[in-house]
Amino acid sequence: MIECQGLGKDFRHYRKEPGVLGSLKSFFVRKYDRKAAVADFNLTIERGEMVGLLGPNGAGKTTLMKMFTGIIVPSHGSLKVFGHVPFQREQAFRKKIALVMGQKSQLWWDIPAMDSFELLQKYYEIPYRDFKKRLDMLSALLDVERLLKVHVRKLSLGERMKMELMACLLHQPQVLFLDEPTIGLDLVAQRNIRDFIAAYQREQGTTVILTSHYMADVDALCARIVLVLGGQKRYDGSIRGFSGILGREKIVTVVFGESVLADPPGFERFDPQWNETRTRVDLRVPEPELRSVAIDILQSLPLLEFSMEKLPIERVMSTLLANPQLLR
Amino acid sequence: MPELSKWMATVRISWSKHLAYKLNFVLLVIGPTLVFFFVKFSLWKAIFSLEGVTTLQGYDLRRMLNYQAWTLLVGLLAQGYNSMNLAEDIRLGRISAYLVYPFGFWPFQTASFLAFQGLQLLVSAVTLLLLVVGGLLSGWSWPALLEGFVFSLLVGFFWYQISFLIGLAAFWLEETWVLRVMFVTIAQFLSGAMMPLEVFPVWLESILQWSPFPYLTYVPAKMFMGEYSGSFAVAALILGLWLAVVSLGVNWVWRRGLRLYTAAGM
Repeated sequence: MIECQGLGKDFRHYRKEPGVLGSLKSFFVRKYDRKAAVADFNLTIERGEMVGLLGPNGAGKTTLMKMFTGIIVPSHGSLKVFGHVPFQREQAFRKKIALVMGQKSQLWWDIPAMDSFELLQKYYEIPYRDFKKRLDMLSALLDVERLLKVHVRKLSLGERMKMELMACLLHQPQVLFLDEPTIGLDLVAQRNIRDFIAAYQREQGTTVILTSHYMADVDALCARIVLVLGGQKRYDGSIRGFSGILGREKIVTVVFGESVLADPPGFERFDPQWNETRTRVDLRVPEPELRSVAIDILQSLPLLEFSMEKLPIERVMSTLLANPQLLR
Repeated sequence: MPELSKWMATVRISWSKHLAYKLNFVLLVIGPTLVFFFVKFSLWKAIFSLEGVTTLQGYDLRRMLNYQAWTLLVGLLAQGYNSMNLAEDIRLGRISAYLVYPFGFWPFQTASFLAFQGLQLLVSAVTLLLLVVGGLLSGWSWPALLEGFVFSLLVGFFWYQISFLIGLAAFWLEETWVLRVMFVTIAQFLSGAMMPLEVFPVWLESILQWSPFPYLTYVPAKMFMGEYSGSFAVAALILGLWLAVVSLGVNWVWRRGLRLYTAAGM
């Protein structure tokens, strides 16, 4: 279980005017700014939950992850992860957690992944038989058996990420922190990684905390999401409830045979989002009006295709980021 | 036992990293001898070929080259490892992974250092052989070799700890290479790596004997030559005390520094 109360982290950095003069000035007189990367954060995550931390760049998601894993020291508040204070970095704590950093490799580049795995077997004191069993299971699931003896620097990004995941799961952590695990991967690799995480979590009941810029990751994996904006928690609840912040709405997509230069009458009410060639438009239509709007469009416009789907989480996110007052 | 196997596994992986690039390794083995012949041998030959120069504080060319050859071996055994990467790792946030693994960062670095020392033994043996064949190491004996070797290993650990301490300054400083260059330059000068300490005034020599510097090169070189007039135990005690001071410093700075660590770039 993860529990934090009033958790905060401040960073101090100095301000420098541009140019040589600014550099000279800042050499003698330096003005410091203190920025709260995370402020007064309260959160409780139960064992076995899969929670997505959402937010734009600089929102404080990664700072939270760094505090949860004991990499950095909180400036304020209390934090316990599975009964441990992370920053004390007890061996018992380190054996319970694992961290995957999409933007930083934890494997040694100049040697094959297998060598790293054998080192981790010693570090985590995994009995060799268990290690072998898990290694075989994970490498089969991730389809990387033939890559275990290849130098890590020779692997593709997707293959490397699979190895990173394996490295983190060999000791069967109780809680898995995934910081942008699919960043930079192509769509197929993203889906493979996602499917693997979902299946693994279902089977092992591991607590998973995920940050990702790909809403598809969060949508596919997390039942609960926590929205972080400006270092503060702005939403904590189910993914269904999150979509419902904007009201019960659906996306209506209309495709036309030729470019439509002006919005057809009434479209402006539904936040129309046109493609570049203005042949396709997405409308956000409240569920009670769905029937009448659909009939109206089908009867009055020369369209090629018409479809309806639930509001994608990306759309909810971007609308909330543009209008944070909707969260109050 | 599990702790020991973590250390051994780290040593093994460190060897794998060093042996990953064949050419690099070959250069590592023969590089020091080549550099010695190109730089020190030529330099001292040129100095002693100057008109009127036959001895320098009792050192003729042969003895000076003998001294310089032993300083090369001390350097290989004691000062080969540097923690230059440590500062960069801290600055770029690359130590994060080691803060999560259940094996400390200092043990990881130290095990890597020990692995490196293992390889340096091989490099030193090859260099020793080449220098003996080249006729530069005259009059050596097994007891002197053993004494110099043991002391050099102690110096190696001191050098490692001081490099680690300087690397940790990266928690506060953007660049630590200035500190490192300053330390290495001062150490080169005061340790006798450039020239034997007999060329210094007596008063400076007597002050220096309480500092760690003479023990970094001059003392082990003289031990190898069988010419060290002081006591091995006293020399080891003085350097051991300095090692304890530096180790306490490492511990204190690491704890303080980690509170400032931001894990940039993660």
